[in-house]
Amino acid sequence: MTATTPVAMTARYALISTRLAYRNVRFLVLTVALPLLLFLLYANLYRGQDAGDGLTVVAYLMVSMASFGCIGAAINTGARIAIERQVGWNRQLRLSALPGSSYLVAKAIVSMLVTLPALILVFLAGATVGGVQLSAGQWLATGLAVWLGLIPFAVLGLVIGFAGSVDTVQPISMITYLGLSILGGLWFPVEAFPEFLQQIAKLTPSYWLADLGRTVVAGQGVPTEAVLVLAGWTLVLGAVGVWAYRRSGTKV
Amino acid sequence: MTTKPIPGPDGAAVRLTGLHKRFGPVHAVRGVDLLIVPGEVVAFLGPNGAGKSTTIDILLGLTRPDAGSVRLFGTDPVTAVQSGRVGAMLQAGALLPDVTVKELVTMFAGLHRHPMPVGTAMELAGVTDIAGRRTQKLSGGQAQRVRFALALVPDPDLLVLDEPTAAMDVEVRRSFWSSMREFTATGRTVLFATHYLQEADQFADRVVVLAGGAVVADGTGAQIKSSVAGRTISAVIDAATADDLARLPGVLGLDRQAGRILLHCNDSDIALRALLAGFPQAHDIEIAAGNLEDAFLELIATSRQDIEQ
Repeated sequence: MTATTPVAMTARYALISTRLAYRNVRFLVLTVALPLLLFLLYANLYRGQDAGDGLTVVAYLMVSMASFGCIGAAINTGARIAIERQVGWNRQLRLSALPGSSYLVAKAIVSMLVTLPALILVFLAGATVGGVQLSAGQWLATGLAVWLGLIPFAVLGLVIGFAGSVDTVQPISMITYLGLSILGGLWFPVEAFPEFLQQIAKLTPSYWLADLGRTVVAGQGVPTEAVLVLAGWTLVLGAVGVWAYRRSGTKV
Repeated sequence: MTTKPIPGPDGAAVRLTGLHKRFGPVHAVRGVDLLIVPGEVVAFLGPNGAGKSTTIDILLGLTRPDAGSVRLFGTDPVTAVQSGRVGAMLQAGALLPDVTVKELVTMFAGLHRHPMPVGTAMELAGVTDIAGRRTQKLSGGQAQRVRFALALVPDPDLLVLDEPTAAMDVEVRRSFWSSMREFTATGRTVLFATHYLQEADQFADRVVVLAGGAVVADGTGAQIKSSVAGRTISAVIDAATADDLARLPGVLGLDRQAGRILLHCNDSDIALRALLAGFPQAHDIEIAAGNLEDAFLELIATSRQDIEQ
């Protein structure tokens, strides 16, 4: 109990909340199992095939499935927030020295940290079963690119947690999760979509998350457009999140 | 950021001025003024819907008043809370699921600037024996004690308790108040809301009666008792309905006790004449001087008439 600065409190609250999130085994299995199984299935089907642009199909799918699992984990933070709000824990927190901004940052950090199992396990499966061969630097760069690209989804989790209630947060999360995954081309390549759907796909953050990951894994550097779109989504969702948080505080 | 705010120039622990709050058509708080000096133990007494919880929420900075101002130790509530000078026990809820009692108290201590040792807070609140239990497995009374530990752990100068004994049985309630006494002996300021008159009378230096969103009386338990001329008529009245008796002139409320009817009156003379005229079968009649219960009922009844007029 020595460090009492807001930064120390934010870190402490983020760590405790992350530990609690990791206690929820059911949630971890769900966000990891489906993308991992799908990846293993695809990896067997498409092993050794080339996707063009210096990318194997398996590496392409590895990035897609890791993104898919991570988006689910990040968005799921919203469910926990909604439960904590319902039991009145957020009122109790407002009676602590933790400022509201620190609380939001801590919850976003939690979202980022709970994505790690899906990211690491799908990549591990890629390296072993999938036979994806990358240099250590490329693995790190790809992992980091996908992980940092998840920031807008972490913020989206907060928005859902403050906009929804315990009853609505599950369906909202599910629809957002599956909607973004499918529309963003994580399940099927966007090129297979009809023209108008392709246009819509390019508005989603999930499309650009996958684009970021695939470009980096193909060793073609960091795509500026993807970074800008993801940053734009982060700003917009951040503003909505702060608004939803303030609004949730005046209710109860 | 780390320096303690200086107490207000008037040295007040709590200063509420002209508070008003509406929720749609409900005028929950209508003009509450209150000054509490450091070291006072004050009870907020009132029936459900009197505005106790809303006033407490405003005092803690959880709800914004439509009008009026709150100063705690000379600063705004959020500053006072963030500097760790205020600990509060909210009504119901407020326990994080999936953690043990000890983890919860430790975590909350970690979110304050100068907390007391977790062990001390848990001992004071009497939750040491359930330290390893998950929060969702607690009984109502145990959960209340954990909330009390959360209120104590910031090591606050002002403790605010919203109906602290609501879910407790008699024995737990007794031990709760004895740990409260330990805490107030150290000179802290306490404000607690209750609708138990006995609690207000026994544990508070000062009782502030709230009805219809306004303060209708403010003083020691004894002062409030003597300020109203309440008396109780007690009698055995066979074959009389409670409704008929409660409607007698001069009667504010009614209780049954061991076969006897207790009529709480603001004018026992008128009530007695009406009782004898209407229910000649009444016998074994006794008239007793008022207690706090009668005073309370009369205050509420009077304030209700004021509001209706």
